[in-house]
Amino acid sequence: MTWHVSEEDLRAYAQGELAPPVLWAADTHLGACARCRAVLAGVGDPAALDAGWERLDAELDAPRPGLFESLLVRTGVPDHIARLLAATPVLRGSWLGAVLAVLGTTVWVSNALRTTDSPTLFLALAPLLPLAGVALSFGPVLDPTYEMAVVAPLHGFRLLMIRTVAVLVAGLGLNGLATLALPGFGLRALAWLLPALALTTTGLALTPRLGPVRAPSLVGGAWIALLLAARGAGPAGDGALAPFTAPGQAVAAAVAALAAVLLFAGRDGFDRFQGRAV
Amino acid sequence: MTPTVSASGLSLRYGGTRALDDVSLRLAPGVTGLLGPNGAGKTTLLRVLATALPADHGAFTVLGNDPGTARGRQDVRRALGYLPQTPGFHPDFTAFEFVDYVAILKELTDRTARHREVRRVLDEVDLTDVRGRRIKKLSGGMRQRVALAAALVGDPGFLVLDEPTVGLDPEQRMRFRELIAQAGEGRTVLLSTHQTEDVAMLCHRVLVMAGGRVRFDGTPAELTARAAGRVWSSAERAPAAKAGWRTGTGTFRNVGDPPPGAELLEPTLEDGYLLTLDGEGAQEVTAA
Repeated sequence: MTWHVSEEDLRAYAQGELAPPVLWAADTHLGACARCRAVLAGVGDPAALDAGWERLDAELDAPRPGLFESLLVRTGVPDHIARLLAATPVLRGSWLGAVLAVLGTTVWVSNALRTTDSPTLFLALAPLLPLAGVALSFGPVLDPTYEMAVVAPLHGFRLLMIRTVAVLVAGLGLNGLATLALPGFGLRALAWLLPALALTTTGLALTPRLGPVRAPSLVGGAWIALLLAARGAGPAGDGALAPFTAPGQAVAAAVAALAAVLLFAGRDGFDRFQGRAV
Repeated sequence: MTPTVSASGLSLRYGGTRALDDVSLRLAPGVTGLLGPNGAGKTTLLRVLATALPADHGAFTVLGNDPGTARGRQDVRRALGYLPQTPGFHPDFTAFEFVDYVAILKELTDRTARHREVRRVLDEVDLTDVRGRRIKKLSGGMRQRVALAAALVGDPGFLVLDEPTVGLDPEQRMRFRELIAQAGEGRTVLLSTHQTEDVAMLCHRVLVMAGGRVRFDGTPAELTARAAGRVWSSAERAPAAKAGWRTGTGTFRNVGDPPPGAELLEPTLEDGYLLTLDGEGAQEVTAA
């Protein structure tokens, strides 16, 4: 053995107060180190020690979590939430890679073909990515365990919110990084944020009524129709379409707030099966 | 005996289809079989009883809890184990991680207690040795046992199994039947199946559904007795038979009203089932 668990950590371990990931390291180490086990036997009271052994016994059987889960736990996410997030389809590398590719292409086109003071293509596309990501993170289409999750005691709305927050953090984070690659447009390049929140919350609010496929599809379609209509009406003085002007942003904020209220009011709709019955 | 599940007048309509039509039943501890052809309403009934779908009309309770209220629904779900018709898995999870994931959905957030429970149920379905193997590398039978282990997390009093033996080879099916029989000791199990052998081997009671209605509710022996004196052998297919098929000996086994002087055969559960369907899906079951 090249290292040993400190006595302080062993005391915390014996009292059940040692938190992951140090707890996991201690579990693994104690299984192989007689010296640390002997120290552990001397630092705790017998009842706490028994609980510690029981925990060790359980941990030795548990597979190590994957890289993504481990990263989440290291950033302070509780281990059970980390496992719920590890099962979220769109938090996998393939989806994030596809989003990065789309954003990269859009940023390149916006910079290369710049004709106005507003990166219209990027602003039009960026709000759709979180909408799609959230829509694909919950529901019978992409979540293979959806049916088991619906009848589990954990409320469907809570699971939805846990995944939505994670997907939004990832999606908005990637959008934010892409925004940094558009320095020539200044703050105008951030005009996707409020529409993104408005589209995502509206899509979720409509899901209990329209289903997990139709609701985000309709919202995405309405966004594209709105942009086409705004383009037909003509851009503002700086070349921005109406949704990306100050009044348009105010409307997006109001829509996001209203949809959030409706989403919360209809939360029990996520507690029932939303696919086809047989 | 107080029933675990008590339902009355359950009805549910999809578009123009009446998936459930005034279904009433009472389930007590032990394994109850649910037989019926495709489209009979079995899966819909299971989803309603598992609180995944609300019925349009009617009411039911599980262990005294009414799922009509949000609180009652939570209480029902805490007492429920559910194995859907096509259980989905996150293929990159190991067997342990998948069952652990379902345990979290069942509100077991304390890591130590949860892992202890995961080990218990994996041991119960005899998967301890492959707990660290990724699900995509497990056989179909093992995957089905992983799904059963997930359903058993929390020691539920009411276990709903939707066609769990479909797609399993005969050896896996026998192994799975043993596990279902074991799971049925001390708890109420509702087992939907196409296989009359499942019912004959496992169930103390059987329900037959067709067209969204319960057509029979009794013991397997009573269902078999429905065919007494109504199964006969003939050299050619009997036109009057409700169902008939050529057996391995080359003669036809016919079910229905036999002609005078026919050579009667000992009825089976399947014969009673086909007569209960009385044409609804009988052809399909005969072909299967």
